Amino acid sequence: MFTIVKNEMIAEDIYTLSLKNAPAGNAGQFFMLRVPGSADPFLGRPLSIFDYDEDRKIVSFLYQAKGPGTQLLASLMPGQKIELQGPYGNGFPMPDGSVTLIGGGIGIAPLHYLTKQLRRAKPTRHISVYLGFREEGYMVDSFKLYCDELHVDIGGQITANVGFSLGDTYFTCGPEPMMMAAAKAARKHRAKLYVSLESHMACGVGACLGCTCKTTQGANRRVCKDGPVFLAEEVYNV
Amino acid sequence: MSEKLLTTILGVELKNPVIAASGTFGFGREYSELIDVSRLGGISSKGLTLKGSLGNSGRRLLETPAGMLNSIGLENPGVDTFVRDEAPYMRELGPVVIANLGGHSEQDYVEGAKMLNHADIDILELNISCPNVKEGGMAFGLIPESAAKITKLVKENSRHPLLVKLSPNVTSIVEVALACEEAGANGISLVNTFLGMAIDVEKKEAVFENVYAGLSGPAIRPIALRMVHEVKKHVKIDVVGMGGIMNTIDALAFLMAGASAVQVGSATFANPETMLKIIDGLEEYCQLHNLNNISEICGII
Ligand SMILES: Cc1cc2nc3c(=O)[nH]c(=O)nc-3n(C[C@H](O)[C@H](O)[C@H](O)COP(=O)(O)OP(=O)(O)OC[C@H]3O[C@@H](n4cnc5c(N)ncnc54)[C@H](O)[C@@H]3O)c2cc1C
Ligand SMILES: Cc1cc2nc3c(=O)[nH]c(=O)nc-3n(C[C@H](O)[C@H](O)[C@H](O)COP(=O)(O)O)c2cc1C
Ligand code: FES
Repeated sequence: MFTIVKNEMIAEDIYTLSLKNAPAGNAGQFFMLRVPGSADPFLGRPLSIFDYDEDRKIVSFLYQAKGPGTQLLASLMPGQKIELQGPYGNGFPMPDGSVTLIGGGIGIAPLHYLTKQLRRAKPTRHISVYLGFREEGYMVDSFKLYCDELHVDIGGQITANVGFSLGDTYFTCGPEPMMMAAAKAARKHRAKLYVSLESHMACGVGACLGCTCKTTQGANRRVCKDGPVFLAEEVYNV
Repeated sequence: MSEKLLTTILGVELKNPVIAASGTFGFGREYSELIDVSRLGGISSKGLTLKGSLGNSGRRLLETPAGMLNSIGLENPGVDTFVRDEAPYMRELGPVVIANLGGHSEQDYVEGAKMLNHADIDILELNISCPNVKEGGMAFGLIPESAAKITKLVKENSRHPLLVKLSPNVTSIVEVALACEEAGANGISLVNTFLGMAIDVEKKEAVFENVYAGLSGPAIRPIALRMVHEVKKHVKIDVVGMGGIMNTIDALAFLMAGASAVQVGSATFANPETMLKIIDGLEEYCQLHNLNNISEICGII
């Protein structure tokens, strides 16, 4: 069980949640969060690592209150305890060269910690970040610390602004149509793109086979265990 | 661990009466990275079909009030792969090894059972109750006559103790259980999931491609408990109970209702430690209530 140190609304229906003494994980990995002993909802909810403070062992999440599970999370107060399982999933790879990150809406959550880890792994590389929002932007400033270029778009199509080129590595997380558009553009320019998928999950560890997606070759992959990060060409036929 | 939790079902000895339910624990690989799997009484494998299957397409899960609907559709690597790769792996984990076998036809079941004679397993759990595959599976478990027929056929062709897993989606589960007992089953496990449904009102369509899906979790517990009680009142063979067990109190209730052992499914998803906590809790209960063995409370209600 982990103690909540912060749970605040930062934009409409958007919250940040921090827990202390939490285990570390890699960017793109997620935790299953659950109110202790709850029977309704009784399954955990997967949330990506938004940030991790190594010194104070504090893990932070950025989440949107959508349905019953995330609304219940939003009602919790600092000092209360929560069940945390994980970190689960494969996480993003750490390439060497220049990188571009494309996030849409709440999909910016895993990209934030990714930007930080990419910067740390190689302080001299070029990092471009594109963030798209429907109505209002949030957490934009905290990306500034770790990137060289930051583009923000409200209400438009963020992928249209991105120039894809062979040799760089691209990462995206957000609404499916946005990730598909990025996959299409990346394919055209033969650029390497990693996507972070979402799926409804029960176990989060690869045992229930409830979260599978189909590869372009027709095989099943568990989003929780084999993913959530995949090469775009492995899962999107665009 | 003391001897207080030692349990015998179908002539097989278990360290304790807590078994991981089929389809919720894979073949033990994933959870063995997270918990001390060797402490469990048994593990029932993912439901196997003769040739294996990719399972259902479309959405496979939906959480419902205190429960969940699943439409996995028996995604599995096939009996062959199980015999070669998974059964030996499960054996090394320590708990009693149960192979769960599903099928689409009588011939599938018989051939699958014959192949499993080459596997080092302790118990064969015959799944005639999967609601998520179209032709067969549950169909065999709905009528006493067909349940008896398939039980008899598999019994004749298997060298393993036979546990028949029943569907709750029937008029009289007692009649199905009695028919299976008479046909040679060594034990009955119940319940599999309840047939349910969900509709996406925005898209104006059923959530699942198969329309209906299987309900599990705490929502089904009182009905599952009643069914275990009813069945044990009528059969002499061992009953393994399950359906929504979340903690020690729930497990004790199933034992008191007549189960000799319990299986835990969905609750493991919510918290991987659930079964270990139940095992500790049962041990503690034996101490507090001066029981020499947990079986002393089985069927006392
Ligand atoms: C690997 C991974 C990482 C993730 N990381 C994050 C993250 O960092 N931040 C974040 O915010 N989210 C993240 N998510 C998504 C998050 O897990 C989900 O938003 C959350 O589980 C939703 O739970 P809920 O109970 O709030 O909503 P749910 O009950 O799942 O419902 C979601 C929405 O669907 C609607 N709905 C449900 N049933 C029906 C129906 N029958 N008809 C019509 N509408 C229906 C609900 O009303 C609701 O608006 C991640 C998901 C995955 C898989
Ligand atoms: C995701 C999922 C997959 C399942 N797969 C199988 C299966 O392959 N074979 C089987 O006999 N039962 C299967 N079941 C049923 C469970 O073994 C169990 O009978 C049921 O879920 C009730 O127990 P619970 O409420 O503790 O989960 C499955 C259940 C779930 C939730
Ligand atoms: S959520 Fe269970 S296999 Fe992915």
